[in-house]
Amino acid sequence: MFAASLKLIDFTGQKVLTFSHGVNLWLNYLSEFLITLISTPIRIKETIEQIYEIGYKSTFIILFSVSFAASVTIIEYSYHIRLVIGSAQLVPGFAALLILRELGAVITALLLTSRVGAGIAAEVGTMKVTEQIDALKLLNIDPIRYLVVPRFLATIISSVILVIFANVTCLFFCMLVSSSELGFSWQSFLHAMNHFAQFKDVLLSLVKAAVFGSVIPVVSCFYGFECKAGAEGVGRATTQAVVTNAILIIILDFILTYLFSFIY
Amino acid sequence: MSLEIVGLKKSFGTKVVLNKISFGLKKGEILFILGRSGTGKSVLLKNIVGLLKPDDGQIILDEKEISKLSEKEYFPIRKRCGMVFQQPALFDSLTIYENLAFGMRKHFPKLSEQEYRARAEKYLQMVHLENVEEKLPQQLSFGMQKRASLARTIAIEPEYLLYDEPTTGLDPVTTTAINQLIQQLSRQLNVTSVVVSHDMKCALDIADRIIVLSEGAIVAEGTPSQLKTSEVPLVKEFLKEVLEGGSQ
Repeated sequence: MFAASLKLIDFTGQKVLTFSHGVNLWLNYLSEFLITLISTPIRIKETIEQIYEIGYKSTFIILFSVSFAASVTIIEYSYHIRLVIGSAQLVPGFAALLILRELGAVITALLLTSRVGAGIAAEVGTMKVTEQIDALKLLNIDPIRYLVVPRFLATIISSVILVIFANVTCLFFCMLVSSSELGFSWQSFLHAMNHFAQFKDVLLSLVKAAVFGSVIPVVSCFYGFECKAGAEGVGRATTQAVVTNAILIIILDFILTYLFSFIY
Repeated sequence: MSLEIVGLKKSFGTKVVLNKISFGLKKGEILFILGRSGTGKSVLLKNIVGLLKPDDGQIILDEKEISKLSEKEYFPIRKRCGMVFQQPALFDSLTIYENLAFGMRKHFPKLSEQEYRARAEKYLQMVHLENVEEKLPQQLSFGMQKRASLARTIAIEPEYLLYDEPTTGLDPVTTTAINQLIQQLSRQLNVTSVVVSHDMKCALDIADRIIVLSEGAIVAEGTPSQLKTSEVPLVKEFLKEVLEGGSQ
């Protein structure tokens, strides 16, 4: 009994130490990152290169995916709204609201997480295990300034632009499906949409895009920097980055939606 | 003494990796640090260049204590202490020339692009690499990458060169070439060299002095000829491996 209690205390102690060590690492990293972000000039060339890598190269996969998500949304909406009120009149407005307030920003962020977040974590992790990060430090190049800041700025810019495109694509596909399946003309769809959705919905979706975009590179680089040696280490860092990003995006979405509910 | 380590201690969690290590290094000397894997050899080098901070002890470079310096204060130290990593550690998105120019731009910002190129060619020739400037690291063999990495390090003209297992993963011919290169660069550029290795044969051939580490502590220290007559079991083991290797 005594031995079991000691084991439990030991186990709990180890967990608490691991947790506090993790929190300490995060706080150190975030403070270093924020200091670097505000105190060093922006590396414009690298940021543009990253916008190309992160934004441009993600465009097709995001637009392709959100077009299907939008189509599913309007089909589901029409089914349920018809079931409840027996009419499809409210479908375009509700669908547009859902797309602008949620779908466009969240799906884009989750897709960016899987494509860009995983890529950044794997790239930085590989640099860590092949001692390229140490080599940077020895050449007096701050890895946070060199690797994190350009990716941070590029992901925010890319995320905002991609969400604009994603919203437009979603609305276009909603219109397409509602004209072919629900009998809405394009004009009546736009009219119904205008009745519900407002310009602030678009703006707030871009705020969400910027917030989600800022999380992805910071989290991914952290796991890259903390990557343990070997292929397994890189794989684990990538998985942790994707999972953490996805969870954070969902939590942040809840927080932002709650805060925006006072503005809507 | 130009570099002195005094009572250096470093732990990771509960594992003590370096336990009050002390030794000195004279200008122009080639010091080999030998030991089995996991005895803290690389950790020692990383402490010297400030990539890791010691828990206790001092690192004195030209009579100045450097172990407590901040990242910014380490800038001039890292210009003076170049390190060749166990991995080539070349930036894989940059060409070999860009890899060399990368450090030079930081340390010699006033040079022109032509001067960077001329220097890069000079140092690549010094490590016996030619016509590789425009190649990406992955287009070179592992041995060539290691030499390019060495060229990148010496291109910033350090006074101290720290090698972390420079011949690990190389074939015997390239190993010999790299070892000769360490000796040649040390004499040619008059740099002080610290080589972390487990290659006793190479240490006996080119070292001025050898330190043997075991479980974070120094178990033997001396010139190659002194170590050949050492009674320390680990040294004897290393010597036995050299003899067996030679007789094969």
